[in-house]
Amino acid sequence: MTTVSLFRGLAAGAALACLAPTLPAAESAASPSAQPKKKSAGPALKRIRTIKLFMRDGLRFEPPRFEAKPGEDLVLEIENGDTTDMAHNFLLLKPGTREEVVTQALALAEKGTAQGWVPNHPAILLHTPLLDVHGLATLKLRVPEAVGVYPYVCTFPGHGMVMYGAIYAGVPLPKLAEDPNLPPNAAQGVIAGRGQRPFAQRVFLPDASPAAIAVALTGSQNACWDAGECRLRYAWQGAFIDASENWAGNGSKLSALSATPWWRAPKDAFPLRFGAADSPRPAAKFLGYTMNTDGPEFRYRAGEAEVREQVLPRRGAPGLTLRVRIAEARGPVFYHAPADANTQWTSTVGKWSGTVLTLTPAEAADFTLTLSSALCTP
Amino acid sequence: MKPLFLSPLAALALALTSPLDASAAEPTKAAVNETRVEQHYAIGKLPTPSGVDPQIGGLAVARDGRLAAAFHHGEVAFFDPKTTSWKIFAEGLHEPLGLLVEDDGSVLVMQRPELTSLRDTNGDGVADSYETVWDGFGMTGNYHEFAFGPVRGPNGKLYVSLNLASNGASVREEIRGAWVDLGLPREQFYAGEWGGKVANAAGRMYSRVPYRGCVIEVDPQTGAGTPFAFGFRSPDGMGFDAAGNFFVNDNQGDWRGTSPVHVVKRNGFYGHPASLVWRQDWDGGDPLKFPVEKLEALRSQPAIQIPFASYANSPTQMLTIPKTPAWGPFGGQMIVGEMNVPRIFRLLPEEIDGTWQGACVLLIDTKKLQGGLHRFAWLGDTLVVGRTHLSWAGGEGLGTVKPAGPTPFDPLTMHVTPRGFRFDFTAPLAANAAEPSRWIGQRYYYKYHASYGSPEMEKTEFAAAKVTLSNGNRTVDVELPDLKPGFIYDFDLGHVESTAGEPPLNPRIAYTLNRVPTK
Repeated sequence: MTTVSLFRGLAAGAALACLAPTLPAAESAASPSAQPKKKSAGPALKRIRTIKLFMRDGLRFEPPRFEAKPGEDLVLEIENGDTTDMAHNFLLLKPGTREEVVTQALALAEKGTAQGWVPNHPAILLHTPLLDVHGLATLKLRVPEAVGVYPYVCTFPGHGMVMYGAIYAGVPLPKLAEDPNLPPNAAQGVIAGRGQRPFAQRVFLPDASPAAIAVALTGSQNACWDAGECRLRYAWQGAFIDASENWAGNGSKLSALSATPWWRAPKDAFPLRFGAADSPRPAAKFLGYTMNTDGPEFRYRAGEAEVREQVLPRRGAPGLTLRVRIAEARGPVFYHAPADANTQWTSTVGKWSGTVLTLTPAEAADFTLTLSSALCTP
Repeated sequence: MKPLFLSPLAALALALTSPLDASAAEPTKAAVNETRVEQHYAIGKLPTPSGVDPQIGGLAVARDGRLAAAFHHGEVAFFDPKTTSWKIFAEGLHEPLGLLVEDDGSVLVMQRPELTSLRDTNGDGVADSYETVWDGFGMTGNYHEFAFGPVRGPNGKLYVSLNLASNGASVREEIRGAWVDLGLPREQFYAGEWGGKVANAAGRMYSRVPYRGCVIEVDPQTGAGTPFAFGFRSPDGMGFDAAGNFFVNDNQGDWRGTSPVHVVKRNGFYGHPASLVWRQDWDGGDPLKFPVEKLEALRSQPAIQIPFASYANSPTQMLTIPKTPAWGPFGGQMIVGEMNVPRIFRLLPEEIDGTWQGACVLLIDTKKLQGGLHRFAWLGDTLVVGRTHLSWAGGEGLGTVKPAGPTPFDPLTMHVTPRGFRFDFTAPLAANAAEPSRWIGQRYYYKYHASYGSPEMEKTEFAAAKVTLSNGNRTVDVELPDLKPGFIYDFDLGHVESTAGEPPLNPRIAYTLNRVPTK
């Protein structure tokens, strides 16, 4: 009864269209015209539940567990939302067999890749192939009639000992932090943006104004762009922010970064000056941002000038690039690149004098800064 | 971005409360009420998008009939009632607590740091432009600085409201906006000195950056924001009635003996002193140290006070009931939601010689609504309710309310008269309603002071002196021995009956008497 379909990239819509025929007519959201019309426009009360499961950064399933009724029909939509380029699979197992199956998967050794690290084991109730990042699989499941805790696990080598969860079929859930069927990291928070990159999330961030924006860039770089100050504040590498403490409470708590930033701008250091390198700090006003396919482009006014500033991952090497476009500057533009021992700045145009980049109005119309650091490693 | 498939209806909703103990010899009053509510209203639920935290910050209906919702983690999504499917429109917003859908399909949303216009410029159905409409206000990072709205006035202007900060927490080291010192430097708020003395000196709720505690008028053309009304604490509910009067409510707390509903005017002051520092006539002093008499003279009285606990704790959105056959005589009246108790109220304001006042009465009181009734929108006759809690009392998910039977026997309107009150009912009263002893209640007032909340002051019982029935026994003139402005007249209509011998579905109705009419 298992149907598996695998889609890559953002083809989730296609996956749903494919899934729809497996559902009763009234459940089909994808092709209503082909089906007899429902009597009422309101939502039907009897639906097959769809459970969305994500593979997340840090070898985690989200959710780490869920409840189901014995014998219940479910649709599992499983997506690899891991942003650190790791492939994962999903195996649903008979109760109490997880470690045995994980061990057998590891023993596949050189045969493992061809089998998607799925061993031949009678305890496997259903499984997906190995899913690359953004890979999506849809499984139809009838929960076994036997009451029990059914583990699910990723059997990719090295993952199976920590990356697992459980379906509670007719068994009450223990407290999350005390659940013996879950790994110790299950009680941790969720990564904002559900693994999408690029992504922008506004939420309270450490070491920035209350109006700062967290940016997840394609790849594994992240940045804090502060809309309260209209400037880049810091960059870090790895998973995006964990905002769960902020979201679970009244909004007081700050989001957590997954790693110590490899670069920080100094406090109160607005980088742009107009006319002279030591001219007064121009007043900055945030105007908004555009979500482009390669990342958000921020817009702000600095003094008289309107600035567009896009934060991008550096190509081919660890670091960031900052594409800055200043429309119709009336005179020379100065960019104060804050220096620290580990950081290196380069620019496509302009003249460096120490850490200050001088740009003609024409150069300032479109220039790209590259920021790299000894602390930011491949 | 991905179209989202419907999540299971049951998965995200809270468990419904089952009817009360069936083994009891007699059903309790609450159980009787639950059963009666079912005879008049159908309460259901709507799914929320899968994978999205189902706390609702804002609801609105687009011109094409789709429902827009803003969610706790920052998503804005559209629900198409025809396909019952959700599509995410925008993501990553900071605690959005209200939205409007424009005729061109763009969405105005108030998030914690700004009023934003979300626009799909490339036609893929997903917003790519997050344009700042107005962010000219301060943020200290204090959790209580929520931002609500926008609502659109008849003049085309947008109105948003900004909460005060709470002394339950301090401020961030980095803030946005200029700090108002009032004898307490900012460092004392975030440094080790916070708590105890500094927290007390700051006031229970404080406004140290622009324009916390104000309702703001934003010109959508120029993006200019100007403080419009002052004196608020946590003004979650704003709305205009059909005549263009601007209603803003607030939450019980310091300087709020109970939760008020105000009809606000430009430059008006509505009670909480902290935001007076943003009014043009501010003299530089600490408004929290102004004598109460001075503040009392400055402030406009609430039009309607919603009695604390016995009615509601924390009022939310206000919206007008559509004039459709399904809603019958309630069409055109205003409703207001409530966070702590699963209740929806009707508001019955009236203007007497230039003074606003009026009554509040329950519309629906049943556990089936679930708590946290934060946001409302109309999908035709169906009231969609969006719940939230933000870690306080409340709920989550989307519910629906629709009339599913005859209009209940209830007080329809309540007006003050020179000697008492006139009630209209939805159905004729039994002849015994002419007995004055059946028309009873209590009057009291709430104290205007810095302390949190207030007891019911000078609480006394009253009974009618004279009762006159008219209009086929649907209208009742109740004369009281005396009428005292400044008091809330809280009637218990549980002793009057319909011709079928049934008491009103919602027998409590409380009128805030600011002024007694001369004729």
